Amino acid sequence: VKKLLGLTLGIISAIGGFVDIGDLVANSQAGSRFGIRHAWVMVVGVLAICVYAEMCGRVVAISGRPVFDLVRERLGPRVALVNLTASYLVTLVTLGAEIGGVALSIELLSGTTYLLWLPAVALVLWLLLWRVKFGVLENLFGVAGLALIIFLVAVFRLHANWSELAGQARHISPPSGENWPNYWFLAVSIFASAMTPYEVFFFSSGGVEERWTAKDLGQSRANVFIGFPLGGVLALAIMVTSALIFYPAQISVDTLGQTALPTALAFGRIGLGLAILGFFAATFGAALETGLSAGYTVAQYFGWTWGKYVKPRQAARFHTVLLVSVLLGFAALLTTIDPVQLTEYMLMLSAVALPLTYLPILVVANDRRYLGDRTNGRLANALGTVVMVVVLAAAIAAIPLMVMTGMGGY
Amino acid sequence: METFIGFNLLDRQIVDREGALVGKVDDVELRLPPGQPPRVTALLVGQESLGERLGGALGAALAGSARRLRSEEDSAPIRIPFEVIAEIGSAITLSISKDLLAEPALEGWLREKFIGRIPGAQHDGE
Repeated sequence: VKKLLGLTLGIISAIGGFVDIGDLVANSQAGSRFGIRHAWVMVVGVLAICVYAEMCGRVVAISGRPVFDLVRERLGPRVALVNLTASYLVTLVTLGAEIGGVALSIELLSGTTYLLWLPAVALVLWLLLWRVKFGVLENLFGVAGLALIIFLVAVFRLHANWSELAGQARHISPPSGENWPNYWFLAVSIFASAMTPYEVFFFSSGGVEERWTAKDLGQSRANVFIGFPLGGVLALAIMVTSALIFYPAQISVDTLGQTALPTALAFGRIGLGLAILGFFAATFGAALETGLSAGYTVAQYFGWTWGKYVKPRQAARFHTVLLVSVLLGFAALLTTIDPVQLTEYMLMLSAVALPLTYLPILVVANDRRYLGDRTNGRLANALGTVVMVVVLAAAIAAIPLMVMTGMGGY
Repeated sequence: METFIGFNLLDRQIVDREGALVGKVDDVELRLPPGQPPRVTALLVGQESLGERLGGALGAALAGSARRLRSEEDSAPIRIPFEVIAEIGSAITLSISKDLLAEPALEGWLREKFIGRIPGAQHDGE
């Protein structure tokens, strides 16, 4: 029974943990401007993260090495240092965006500006990183993140016109009044939101700390193959509600409050309350994960002691990186940059950095010296290669698209 | 079994007998007996070795900052004799506890001056 409970809890955390500020922003923006003409991107994104998270879980279970260990071993210290710089910066911007998302959620609830909440959010975040029992906490945020199911229920309550939605989903092209660059800009954002690099840093490091072995592969695969697609369904539901409410009225979403609005229209205060709770849990959980991931990348590159289970005194370098990262993320927000805008930048930067994270995973997953007879099968390699082509295309296209559209034409 | 310095040793994670993280193989010490193939005599750990191996301005800066941190009497970089390696796999496992090795200067410095002074630093993360 305990094992079954652990399995269920793992899957639930994976569902709630899938959605973060990037998914909230990218999906609701896409829905409001393009209907659900980007639905296919979400499907591709979920498939992509599933393929690579599975490889990553297998590498951890068999070799006991987290992702950034592999990056340095396979790329060598010099290229890996460039990779570290890029990955750390992207993770730091993501951390800033998540902290902003938490503060915005509290603003929605309290009515006072998010700027006032930033210091408290940053402080509580650091305190949790400093001394709280992590297993409990991750599961708590994962379960609370399930409040986002309200978006799925709202799709039905809002009397979705299914044939019209199906029509939109089939049209892989911009509607009149929008252009192709804007369409692809949001496509890259949505893809990056599903594949944000910190997810595999966090996932693999967690597996190492819990000392996964070949026996844990079942649990790891269940979390990935059940949890992530269901999380993707929640993200898609956010896109659909936005498409139902804002797209016909030609209103483009640019605040988190607008993202939540469809739930209020469907269920009044209770709907809105659940949506905000979901936002809070999803962004806070992601802030913890990105904060830790910032520390993981640096510590794993240099070989320092890292982990959420070791005493801060015994991992002074790791905990210094955590503290400095939270402070830097907080400082970025104090410039009063709009967190939603910061999220848009974060997604495009993530897209550029995706190959740096995922290519070493694909290489090592094929290396018998790490995995023995558990290397990639034909299916994993076929899918992994296709995904890598998409990852490279998104990485190459990201910066030209940013320039051409002026950040998506907002 | 043949061991390739480039593949099996350099940049691998070193763990002690209990599995605690020691550091990376930032460089290796070689002995070149005349007329015989070179032999690895020790693993070198620390940003000083890494910086020297990286080379260039960045490597020099990394090595220089690491050098300034250590006190005179330390014999940095940390040198792990080849004899205490128990196993070479996806990590390098030592046959000793990391307590027997010198502590990295940056870790000690940050603990004494900074992290150790924040309340709760002793607390188990769990």
